[in-house]
Amino acid sequence: MLKLVSMVQIITIEDKNYPKLLKEIGNDAPKKLYYKGDWDMGIFENCLAVVGSRHLTSYGKKITEQLVTEIAAAGITIVSGFMYGGDEAAHSATVRIGGKTIAVMPCGIDLVHPEYQEKLYNEILEKKGLIISELEGKFQPALWTYPRRNRIVAGLSKAILVVEAGLNSGSLITAKYAKKYGRKIFAVPGQITSDVSKGTIKLIKEGAEVVTEPGDILKYYNFSLAKLNLTKPSSTLNKEEQKIIEQLKREPMEADTIARALSVSVIKIGATLSLMQLKGFINQESGKYYVN
Amino acid sequence: MLIKVPSVVNLGLETIKVDVEVNLANRGLPGFEIVGLPDKAVDESRERVRAAISSSGVDFPSKKITVNLAPADIQKEGSLYDLPIAVGILSSVLQFSIPEKSLFLGELSFDGFLRHTKGALLMALFAKEFGFLNIFVPKDSANEAGAIKGIKVFPVENLIQLAGYFLKRKNIEPIVYRKNLNEISMPAEFDMREVLGQEQAKRAMEIAAAGGHNIIMVGSPGSGKTMLARALPGILPPLNETESLEVTKIYSVAGNIQPGGSLITTRQFRAPHHTASLVGIIGGGTRPHPGEVSLAHRGVLFLDEFNEFPHNVMEAMRQPLEDGYLTISRSKKRVMYPADFMLVASANPCPCGYFNHPKKNCTCTQQQIKKYQKRISGPILDRIDLHIAISPVDTTEFSDNQKNSELLESSKIIKQRVIFAKIRQEKRFEKDLIQSNAQMKNIHIKNYCKLTKDIEELLHRASIKFQLSARSYMKTIKVARTIADLEGVEEINISHMAEALQYKPKTYESA
Repeated sequence: MLKLVSMVQIITIEDKNYPKLLKEIGNDAPKKLYYKGDWDMGIFENCLAVVGSRHLTSYGKKITEQLVTEIAAAGITIVSGFMYGGDEAAHSATVRIGGKTIAVMPCGIDLVHPEYQEKLYNEILEKKGLIISELEGKFQPALWTYPRRNRIVAGLSKAILVVEAGLNSGSLITAKYAKKYGRKIFAVPGQITSDVSKGTIKLIKEGAEVVTEPGDILKYYNFSLAKLNLTKPSSTLNKEEQKIIEQLKREPMEADTIARALSVSVIKIGATLSLMQLKGFINQESGKYYVN
Repeated sequence: MLIKVPSVVNLGLETIKVDVEVNLANRGLPGFEIVGLPDKAVDESRERVRAAISSSGVDFPSKKITVNLAPADIQKEGSLYDLPIAVGILSSVLQFSIPEKSLFLGELSFDGFLRHTKGALLMALFAKEFGFLNIFVPKDSANEAGAIKGIKVFPVENLIQLAGYFLKRKNIEPIVYRKNLNEISMPAEFDMREVLGQEQAKRAMEIAAAGGHNIIMVGSPGSGKTMLARALPGILPPLNETESLEVTKIYSVAGNIQPGGSLITTRQFRAPHHTASLVGIIGGGTRPHPGEVSLAHRGVLFLDEFNEFPHNVMEAMRQPLEDGYLTISRSKKRVMYPADFMLVASANPCPCGYFNHPKKNCTCTQQQIKKYQKRISGPILDRIDLHIAISPVDTTEFSDNQKNSELLESSKIIKQRVIFAKIRQEKRFEKDLIQSNAQMKNIHIKNYCKLTKDIEELLHRASIKFQLSARSYMKTIKVARTIADLEGVEEINISHMAEALQYKPKTYESA
């Protein structure tokens, strides 16, 4: 079955099945698109572009996962650029929940770029998503193909969600195209000191809508929240564990920082953190703990 | 006239007796020849012996002198045969007899004085084992040999003095061993209290020092990895008697003992640079020589910028990490060196170093990061007990008390706890052949790390959740054992095990 969907097919701008939204962008619209997967018109009806920095922080990753999971579960197609970091987080959160996602590649349709995300690539196709590119064969990605790709990402979508973006990032280029094509722009606020939040803060200043929960975006699409059964850990916390959770809710921290903030020895904190992690209250990534 | 002077040859750490046979023939043209597989240094000893005897005021005999080093099929190397050859010639000229059951070793200088020579300790050990009573060694090398009780070690200053002694005109007092105070204190570069923050990393260092566990620190430049490692010698427990002898043997063979040096009682801290060659780190060469891993025996091998080390060097460390010794095989020789060291490694998370840095941006692509982290192979990481992620410390967030290093724990206090835990381990392993928790094999873990049902279940859950390998599973138990030892408790409880899980192998990438 996978063989069939991984066959490359072509659609031209004259075809009646060419996505309407993309056609609207006029001269920017690609004349020809190569694609893999099942070309079902339904997939283009409600698209949201989700873009984010390649160097997503653990905050950005967590927010992307939370927002995308609920939005994709509600039935919205997630469009992104298959890069590592923000794009990867959006695609994989979608396939995990069984949602549909479109990956617009910066390279020829026969290439998987970046190569090591091949597993995700196959998962997208398995979950009836699409892989799209305007470049044929084994065309190598180049500096100029990334921004060109971004116009398709913006063109396919009714709205775009920027999670984290630097000031000179590709995410802002996508946002620029979205503005040009008259799409709605959503941005996630972050710490004003963080480099990867500077781009999103700039967007907010220019009038992008602030997103704090999935409802903000679903409202725009006239969708309602799907009843997701996200299991929360049920066992109760003791006093020390509660204090740790309180600290971690503010921001992810290292064991040292938690110990200092609570004035408890790091030995004790370490043991407690391990147990909490095993119980599933918290998780650890690159040295920092965060609340699940 | 044939004279036999006994000496030794060291093959690795193994010592074999060598008879230095000196024949002075009245017939034939005057000459001086050495046979019996001598190397260049032994061959050149002819010139040193000739000059030294002349400088001592004795006419060098104009006879045909032939020296044979028996057994003749073992390669002899180094300058240690100068003294036995000279003694052989002198005994013929001055007509004295060489005392029974004596061994000789030492390099001569042209003026007849003896120079510090490597391997004296090994000769003393050999002498004791095989019933020799006296050994004659250079004065500078006598103290290390004097550490061996039950034999007389004669410190020889020059040939005149020695000849005088044999002719019963002068007396040489056997050396009385004394500890060399200069060598005992090898101070750490930093005190642990100088390291601000990094409480968990310091704690991991303490556990590592107490149980002899290998440790790896991953973090950005400037986060304090090297400083922590350099502070480590300050909290290491001293060597016990057996260990001290083992270490000094290696240093004696390598010629790394200072003139007049005594037994090494502190754990050695070796920090080879990542450009060091394979032979330099592992040991070997045409004349097998102990490498850095052996010089770090019972001590610390600190490898800064671990992933910059060549692949072959890293992989070659697998045997010593597992077995505690390594075998160097050459076509004609096979020597074994002990190499039971504690590995302390530090690495950056990515080529630019700032991956996950709170302030600075990482400029590496994910592929570069993956490639960089893959340079440390899985089997090596699997042999490391404690994994620590080190983040840079922002001291502006510290309260005054936290910033005041006077209030922090000093290395001295930590060291006391470490020694306490070390003594517990020595007592436990009295009947086993191991010294520390890190060396425990599965059978020891079964005997000494009894886990209750609860803890076993906890560990089982953890191994599924964190995808621990079977080896990591065992390592976690060993670390928990050390944590319990630091606390002075025989039973491993839940919080020991939970803390041990803090130091499990981590994935540093975000994927």
